Amino acid sequence: MRYQFFVFISAILSFSVFAQEKATLSGYVKDASNGEALIGATVYIRSLNTGTTTNVYGFYSLTLSRGNYEVEISYVGYSPQKQSVDLQGNVRLDIELNPQSNELQEVVITGTTERSMVETVEMSVNKIDIATISKIPAFLGEVDVIKSLQQLPGVATVGEGASGFNVRGGNVGQNLILLDEATVYNSSHLLGFFSVFNPDAVKDVKLYKGAVPAQYGGRISSLLDVRMKEGNNKDYEWNGGVGTIFSRLAFEGPMLKNKGSFIVAGRRSYIDILARPFVDVLQDGARLNFYDFTGKVNYNINDRNRIYLSGYTGRDIFFFDKNQGFSWGNNTATLRWNSILNDRLFLNVSGIYSKYDYQLQFGEDDQDFFRWNSSISNYTIKPNFSYFISSNNELSFGAEGIYYTFEPANASGASAGDVVDISLDRKYNLETAVYISNNQKVSKNLSLEYGIRYSNFWSYGPGNQYIYNDTTAGVRRTPISVIPYEKGEAMSQYGTWEPRFSMMYQINENSSVKASYIRMAQYLHLISNTTASNPLDVWTPTSNNIKPEIGDQYAAGYFRTLGSEKQFEFSIEAYYRNAKNQIDYIDGADLLINEFLEGDLLSGKGRAYGLEFYFQKKTGRLNGWIAYTLARTELQVEGINRGEWYPARFDQTHNLKLTGFYELSKRWSLTGNFTLLSGTPTTFPTSRYIMQGILIPYNANDTRNNVRIPAFHRLDISARLEGKTVKKNGKVRKNTDYWVFGLYNVYGRKNPFSIYFAQSDERIPPAGKSIESQAKQLSIIGTVVPAISYNFNF
Amino acid sequence: MNKSSLHIYLLVAALMISLLACETVIDPRLEEAEPILAVDAWITNKPEPQVIKVMKTQPYFDNSIPPGVSGAQVTVTDSNGKVYVFTEDPVGSGNYVWVPQGNEVFGESGLTYTLAIEAEGESYTATTLMGSVPPVDSITFRMEEGGQFITDLYLAEFWALDPPEPGNTYWIKTYKNGQLLNKPSEILLAYDASFTRGGAFSGIIFIAPIRTGINPFDEDSNGELLSPYAVGDSVYVELNSLSEASFDFLNQVIVQTDRPGGFSELFATPLANVSTNIFNTNPNGKRAVGFFNVASVSGLGRKFNSLDDLSKTD
Repeated sequence: MRYQFFVFISAILSFSVFAQEKATLSGYVKDASNGEALIGATVYIRSLNTGTTTNVYGFYSLTLSRGNYEVEISYVGYSPQKQSVDLQGNVRLDIELNPQSNELQEVVITGTTERSMVETVEMSVNKIDIATISKIPAFLGEVDVIKSLQQLPGVATVGEGASGFNVRGGNVGQNLILLDEATVYNSSHLLGFFSVFNPDAVKDVKLYKGAVPAQYGGRISSLLDVRMKEGNNKDYEWNGGVGTIFSRLAFEGPMLKNKGSFIVAGRRSYIDILARPFVDVLQDGARLNFYDFTGKVNYNINDRNRIYLSGYTGRDIFFFDKNQGFSWGNNTATLRWNSILNDRLFLNVSGIYSKYDYQLQFGEDDQDFFRWNSSISNYTIKPNFSYFISSNNELSFGAEGIYYTFEPANASGASAGDVVDISLDRKYNLETAVYISNNQKVSKNLSLEYGIRYSNFWSYGPGNQYIYNDTTAGVRRTPISVIPYEKGEAMSQYGTWEPRFSMMYQINENSSVKASYIRMAQYLHLISNTTASNPLDVWTPTSNNIKPEIGDQYAAGYFRTLGSEKQFEFSIEAYYRNAKNQIDYIDGADLLINEFLEGDLLSGKGRAYGLEFYFQKKTGRLNGWIAYTLARTELQVEGINRGEWYPARFDQTHNLKLTGFYELSKRWSLTGNFTLLSGTPTTFPTSRYIMQGILIPYNANDTRNNVRIPAFHRLDISARLEGKTVKKNGKVRKNTDYWVFGLYNVYGRKNPFSIYFAQSDERIPPAGKSIESQAKQLSIIGTVVPAISYNFNF
Repeated sequence: MNKSSLHIYLLVAALMISLLACETVIDPRLEEAEPILAVDAWITNKPEPQVIKVMKTQPYFDNSIPPGVSGAQVTVTDSNGKVYVFTEDPVGSGNYVWVPQGNEVFGESGLTYTLAIEAEGESYTATTLMGSVPPVDSITFRMEEGGQFITDLYLAEFWALDPPEPGNTYWIKTYKNGQLLNKPSEILLAYDASFTRGGAFSGIIFIAPIRTGINPFDEDSNGELLSPYAVGDSVYVELNSLSEASFDFLNQVIVQTDRPGGFSELFATPLANVSTNIFNTNPNGKRAVGFFNVASVSGLGRKFNSLDDLSKTD
């Protein structure tokens, strides 16, 4: 580490020496129509065969020998521009690119942009632009960021309706989901059917399945980086839609004399209206809806400084009457300051707040009730520097500090007027990290990105630390002593070095090979022992009893473009992951409002490996992609499956997805996707016995996930009808609109979600007979589901 | 965790999605396994013959009456050295019975009991602590008005006070018109006056979801919800003391057997073996399954004679 650091420092110094002969070209690349910064736009100097891409704020910086250059600026879906620059001193060049007209626009999911995946060091990354997301057929027609990700290689779920997603064998709680850098702890509405991101407010979605940059940490499986729109700074614009589940409305426009812009976007469900007849049955005061509200403003202080403030609030509410029910939601706020300290040094400082909470209350009066709130919240400060040393080196370094407060249970109950407080102690934690990484073009063909992150995690008092006894694996451990800590006293501390390395060797213009290795540490653990994660699942911090989860991932890939205009892209990636200190649970674990939760947790190992194939046709009237993943995900936990490796519940051997877009005419376009998945593993009993009149299933071999449910396949299609662009009198309409008609599960397959075993329903078995055993196969969506939505923009 | 509220929540969620979900009974092939000993040893201090069933496990889809184990030696010994001998009756049934003499009852709360079974050349043993129970003080009836889709519901509620010292565990059994409510969804357990351990709810009246957990929610052949009780019905509530291990065991039984299906399967925990306290004295010998518990019992019954029996609500 010291050696690397020394190399960095000497590199910086040596480049400064040459600064006299060099000059820097820097600036922002934006969309000419609305002023949105373009993330990952290419700035290219053909004569030197060198270039760069814009960062997440649309900023770029290129340091070159003094001279006269022709600069090419390009971004997918936009008309490229050429501009000559006489670079005798540092030059600021802000560019606005014009979007291409609809017909020419291509669907894009690539590592970056027109520099195809072949040419960048990034690997294991998928970026979907929001235009593509909005075209993928969705359940009940609701455009959905997270469901769209499931069309990508390496991404799986436990089943339809399950919340979250699994990346390369990681579990749902091992994905870091960021909305404008703020952690989103639960990404689902209505359990798992919809995600919390409003597509009207999302600009860019990027999923890192591996090769996560040193700037990010805290989860061992993946990073989903969602960036919100900044808002149109040229014109006021309304966007909205009326769908089967949500109605949406967004408004954006310039403010403060065009020095800033804003966007506000909201969605609300209709479910309460649809369910009204059912809810009336229960009692008055019932509420049943979910909503989210997203807002963002930005302001240009001057040429070099800009601030952004963005926020999100969303909630799912299920109240059966005014006193009884259940709700949950996320809140986030992000304040960011971008500063161009000099032409080569870009600073972003983010201050972030994020909270997830749920509340549950039950009981009709103050005599008998149960009320429970639980939350996790954090404050984060994160300065990040990008130092554009030269056209061959881009150094990124910074720090992160996150202060967490866990409130596992603020709860009370009453019985016949006796009120009992059953709250659990809050937990306080601090996570810090420092990191540095360099993106280096070693030669024309070889690029490297290497870095290191050092993360630390402390638990602080006030609180009690429990010491548990040792027992047989798989049996509840009981506390043998309690150590109380004062406010501010450190209770436990862990530190982890997290190296990150990626390389790309470009074989020729059309092909490259890449490899990467990363280590990630995770200090927060999602406690969930059910098939699908549910909103009551609690996050719990690393402590003296729970070690940090550590994940290593190795990946290698081959990337190739084909066709005369590079209209085809093909890639194969292989990965191997291993994880230690993964959380598992004893049988009969008590996970909710349990002071001694840690005694019910087990610790195990995980491993996952797979091959991901991806083939995309990027242009033409017919375009789309094929994604196929061959994978295995296994766990080993002492006390489960006799201590032997067993497949994870979401393990899918084969995972094939086809997504196609076809432009039928100027106004009609069709989209289809087909999914074929191996059945996921589950546990079947071998035997039964009857105890006190209850039929109990028994697995004599003590195996876990020993059989697979039948394969899953489903076809979805949708058709989109663009509204007329010209009025009857021949004038061009200012507003645009379109209809989407969809069919989900076109051939109505009853895809199995799970198979479960139960005794038959009757209370007394017929004379001389015994209780009957049954196996039932459940399909969450066992029928074709039509959808229609209307969307507008003016 | 308040189980009932989660259930209601799931019910509502299920309402919304149930139109789409569907279930099919299937007949999958299962792995084969050697039968092992299954012991059903739930003894009480009720003044009646006490039965320990010694049986064998069956293939899961074998719906015949479980085979009894014949010729076993079954005894229970308390911590004072008193031995209770259970004899096979009738031979071949797997039932081993102890018949009280005169006013004799089985057991004394606070004592530890050891079960010993010699069967098929192996010897098995289990121990348990006999707990105590408070009396059931009263049973009340009330009406919840129905609506356009639900009939008026007559609900029963029992009242009992958990004793002050924490750590008491109970199985609350309900008999409607003499018939035990024995569906997996009707297993009602209490840890002190509440559902889960922790001790905070000790020494108070049982919480409302437990007090009203004695109502069977059955449907008629058209799927219409029936009132749990109607005029003329009787209800008998019986508190059975549990050892802490038995409480954990029964909670696991609920998780593994109470499978309402549908949307709740999203949040089902994986199938896993429930625990046992029946151990082979030879650690390398054949395993057994089942549970041994000795319960103190208290009970109270009431007949729903007429609508005048309904409690006045304020």
